[in-house]
Amino acid sequence: MKFKNVAAVGAIALVSAIALSACSAATPESTAAPTPTAAAFTIDPTLAGTITAGGSSAQANAEAAWTAAFTAVASGVTVNYDKSQGSGGGVTNWLAGSYDFAGSDSPLNQDNQTKSQAICGAGGALNFPVYLSGVAVIYNLPGVDLKLSSATLAKIFMLQVTTWDDPAIAADNKGATLPSTPITVVTRSDGSGTTANFTNYLSQVQPAIFTGTPGSAWPIAGTSGQQGGSGVVNTVTAGAGTIGYADHSSIGTATAAAIQSGTGTDFVSYSPDAATVAFEAAAVPAPLTDGDLSKKIDYTKISGADSYPIPLLSYAIACSTFADPAQAALVKSYIGFIGSDIGQKVAAKNAGSAPVPASILADFTASLDLIK
Amino acid sequence: MFGNDSQRPAKENSVSTNETVSPSAAALSAAGDSATGPRSPKGAGPARVKIKSRPADRIFFGLSFGSASLIVVILAAVAIFLIIKAAPAITANWKSDASLAEGPTAGYADFWSYVLPLVWGTLWASAIALLIGAPIAIGIALFISHYAPRRVAGVLGYLVDLLAAVPSIVFGLWGIIVIRPLLLPLSDWLNQNLGWIPIFGGQVSTVGSTVLAGSVVLAVMILPIISSISREIFLQTPRLNEEAALALGATKWEMIRLAVLPYARSGVVSATLLGLGRALGETMAIALIISPSIIFSLRILTEGENSQTIAANIALNFQIADGLQRQALIGTGLMLFVISLGVNLIARFIVVRTGPTATRKGKRRPPEGVTIPAASTAVEATALGKAGNSHTEGARA
Repeated sequence: MKFKNVAAVGAIALVSAIALSACSAATPESTAAPTPTAAAFTIDPTLAGTITAGGSSAQANAEAAWTAAFTAVASGVTVNYDKSQGSGGGVTNWLAGSYDFAGSDSPLNQDNQTKSQAICGAGGALNFPVYLSGVAVIYNLPGVDLKLSSATLAKIFMLQVTTWDDPAIAADNKGATLPSTPITVVTRSDGSGTTANFTNYLSQVQPAIFTGTPGSAWPIAGTSGQQGGSGVVNTVTAGAGTIGYADHSSIGTATAAAIQSGTGTDFVSYSPDAATVAFEAAAVPAPLTDGDLSKKIDYTKISGADSYPIPLLSYAIACSTFADPAQAALVKSYIGFIGSDIGQKVAAKNAGSAPVPASILADFTASLDLIK
Repeated sequence: MFGNDSQRPAKENSVSTNETVSPSAAALSAAGDSATGPRSPKGAGPARVKIKSRPADRIFFGLSFGSASLIVVILAAVAIFLIIKAAPAITANWKSDASLAEGPTAGYADFWSYVLPLVWGTLWASAIALLIGAPIAIGIALFISHYAPRRVAGVLGYLVDLLAAVPSIVFGLWGIIVIRPLLLPLSDWLNQNLGWIPIFGGQVSTVGSTVLAGSVVLAVMILPIISSISREIFLQTPRLNEEAALALGATKWEMIRLAVLPYARSGVVSATLLGLGRALGETMAIALIISPSIIFSLRILTEGENSQTIAANIALNFQIADGLQRQALIGTGLMLFVISLGVNLIARFIVVRTGPTATRKGKRRPPEGVTIPAASTAVEATALGKAGNSHTEGARA
């Protein structure tokens, strides 16, 4: 994927743009703002073969959009992304050698990184942050534009604040009329990357209040657990005085609260750009191996009115060394496309995700060069 | 256990054989049953010699024998799979293992502290479902077999069987959208007036994802199994017993109490246990409806204190689990397998133990006159094979 001549780049970028507009024709709202620093990328139309992948259902819609755009140019390529497996299943199947790459809401842990050497050789695996969104805090309290400080949010989800007219909520929402009805906290009953992001956020930002173990399973007993992001959204929407969390791209018509950014007085509603800015500030490189782009999200570094405090990240995980060089070239090209400016725009338009910051996408090229 | 299972098809045959007494059916059952030896001395011997000479019969015997052995092989394969996959998680040190310290298995001291609340939750939700469902199912069966006019009975029986064909995901959605809000007023009332009873206590749910809602849906799901088997059993009550009771001046209810219920007791118990088996393994409806916690809780009206069931827990967490977490979930599946096996064993034990009573009654039954309707669903056919054991043995003795 070297740029041999400018005309070809231009032509293919044009083709990609056509593919992009074709994909996005059905979605009315345009969420992506044009980013000035474009990580240009070309898809080689002569590529052929099949990419088999699977895992995270959070990035499934984005994967579908990427696949459509990618195969519109490289028509000889088939991409199968199996979202039924979830992040855990994606990594398990990938470690078993069934997938070319895995979609996962968390990067590989050290244990799995060591295991990956069995299929990837000594170089191990590379984690690429490909999908960015935000965890939305949704609620059903008609007539109230809810603002929540991180402390109040943690108290609500720790079940320490149990009615809507609690002084803590009233302090965040001066002038709002809050009912005295009880708060029903709705969480995920199934294991989920959204829960992992949200619990990590709460326990990092408010460690003294939120004492649950952060992870993919909701740690606090006593909440209303619902299956899937859609289960949470439906229950919050149907109930009265409910509050829950979900990937922003899947909340539909539910109302999302503005969350305190950092420790200041800014309450920020979700927008893709706010998630991008926040993630850029919070992403701490945590490479497991040379060229690995794993990020540890330090939520405490997020502040300011232009940052949404709870970004949500999902990864594509691939080997540094493939058994078949042709397959390596194929996967390299596909992940390269995902990590390009145009790839991120495709996902933003079709799957409602936020673009991964350009500064992080810039590292993709060097890491992709390691894939052999 | 395995041997018994492989004989089941033969027993089904013999149930119908005993009623219709058609020579061809008798020969068929004898041919398929050569593993257990000749059943009726007359007719089976010569027929067998003749049949053995024909290749088609040998092929058919081979196929049916293969099918029968396949059950044993599959059951053994499942058991071996569960044990092998679960062993590392059961024996692992849960406190020090990095993989088990995160995800769905985070925060448990060992495998047993993870699985025992799930076992409790499974039994608890099923028990409530049974408590709600079994009396209604038996009522339906009695109405169809003894009260309803023939035409109504036929339609009603058909409708109950139809209920068995509704997929569990549909029941789950129905539970979420219809049953959940429907039960909220009842939950409030029970909590306010009977909240001093532990099972109705706690912070009453505002959303409705309670054990009560889940159990009501479960009860509807086990209704067809229990009622269609019970109905067949009730229909087999010897007409003479019923007439004798009526002749002694019994009312219809007294007749049912004196003649029908004692006769059908073991069959109804095993029907109920089969329903329990269904309830124990039910996944989707529970996963969708109940808001779960992995705790020991009696409460059925709360949002946050519902004991989770094994099957729903696997369904909810398998996707995110990896490595040892997956194996821990498979380990809980092994426990469910053991529980189901236990329930089936108990069902068989009850049938066998109460068998002699049924045998004596069976002898007094007139050879013709009691008509047994053909089993109308696969569920029923299997169930008849199980529940009909007592009658088979009665006829054999």
